[in-house]
Amino acid sequence: MFVLSILKDTVAIHPSDFGAPADQALIAELNKKYANRVLHDVGLCICVFDLSEAGEGKVRYGDGFLWYKVVFRMVVFRPFTSEVIIAKVKSSDEDGIRLSVGFFDDMYIPAAYLPQPTAFDPNERAHFWLPDSELTSTHDLLNTPLTERMYIDQGEVVRVRVEADDFFDDEPGPPKMAEGVQVQREAKRAPYNVICSIAEQGLGPVAWWNGSAQEGAEDGDAMDEG
Amino acid sequence: MEVLNSRAALLSNYEVFTLLRELETDHLARAKTAVRIKKEEEAAGHPPRHPGSDTLFGEPSENLRTVEVEAIQYLSADYLPTQRQTPEGISQLVQDLAPYELTKAEKLQVVNLAPTMPVELYVIVEELEDRLGDRMEEILTHVQSALALSPATIGPTSSNGNERHPPAINSDSTVSTLGGELAYPEDEAYHEEFVFDDVGEGAGVEGDLDMEDD
Repeated sequence: MFVLSILKDTVAIHPSDFGAPADQALIAELNKKYANRVLHDVGLCICVFDLSEAGEGKVRYGDGFLWYKVVFRMVVFRPFTSEVIIAKVKSSDEDGIRLSVGFFDDMYIPAAYLPQPTAFDPNERAHFWLPDSELTSTHDLLNTPLTERMYIDQGEVVRVRVEADDFFDDEPGPPKMAEGVQVQREAKRAPYNVICSIAEQGLGPVAWWNGSAQEGAEDGDAMDEG
Repeated sequence: MEVLNSRAALLSNYEVFTLLRELETDHLARAKTAVRIKKEEEAAGHPPRHPGSDTLFGEPSENLRTVEVEAIQYLSADYLPTQRQTPEGISQLVQDLAPYELTKAEKLQVVNLAPTMPVELYVIVEELEDRLGDRMEEILTHVQSALALSPATIGPTSSNGNERHPPAINSDSTVSTLGGELAYPEDEAYHEEFVFDDVGEGAGVEGDLDMEDD
């Protein structure tokens, strides 16, 4: 899930922080700049791991800051392709499921990566899976008895496999004007998306796979007691 | 900003968890000292300081606090084994996993997710049956024993509340115990030997940092 990235940057330390040890001041400043921020093609920065190298602080003409050139290691959230992750279902819609790991929630399971056959129940606002079913059309699937359906509810803990990740760098660019009116920009895309899959044995809500094992264990216990 | 290596090493969830927890205790300790100093100053009749003048010993940045709290929350959830792990348990587990010829990524996931059921292991290890056959039960036992090794009584705030732990010192020890096995050793070695010599623009020019004038 997490990786270390080596980054290089120039950091300015405000004179009010000169009293503190330089390394602490630098780490605080770097954390302020990078924490909880997505770097393109790197991932979501969590916090500074350590400083690898820091140059002498130099004073530029014009301000009282000390400018340091720093090479540091950053803890970055960037799950690799095919990594298995535990996440929570944040919401569901016709197109798929949105997941969250708390600090990051631009994770999606598109409908194509749901176990087949599957359908979206608009009443429950949730997808469900029909194990061992021959039905394929959504209409047929929605006519099945509720008891056979395996729902993927909101808030459920799911085990997913990372299939791909996308970075979007939507810089605002110069303002575009049409007939003197500012054009509305299209909906903003999240800078970092993770595409996940649960179309595999063992993936999906953790409870699906725990269930059978736990029942087995309970049976075993009951038999032991008996 | 310049990215020198976007993927220098892999980190286990436990390493990130300990790092964040240290950061949090550090923040809490600082917040306490800040409050104490403020009170003392008030008692001594000093004028109140200009707010925000000392960012370092006051509130840490909002972004950092958010990601820190949320990541700790996620990693200490009961569906993840992270909170029940110890460095000893993990290094023991990594040693136990050595003979099975798992890839680094697979080992990392075994450590992160601590599978207890065969079905979980199926997901993590590719072509499990061909490669391991009957030995997958052994792996599950190793995982169990590594978790059992860990005392389950590590509270979310450890006792070293007042001590200062600069991440630089602590992280080194974590890496040397865990990273050597878990993360890419070759990359680690590469990283240690890497000489970041400053011969870019502006090198040797005193006081000039080739900054854009903005």
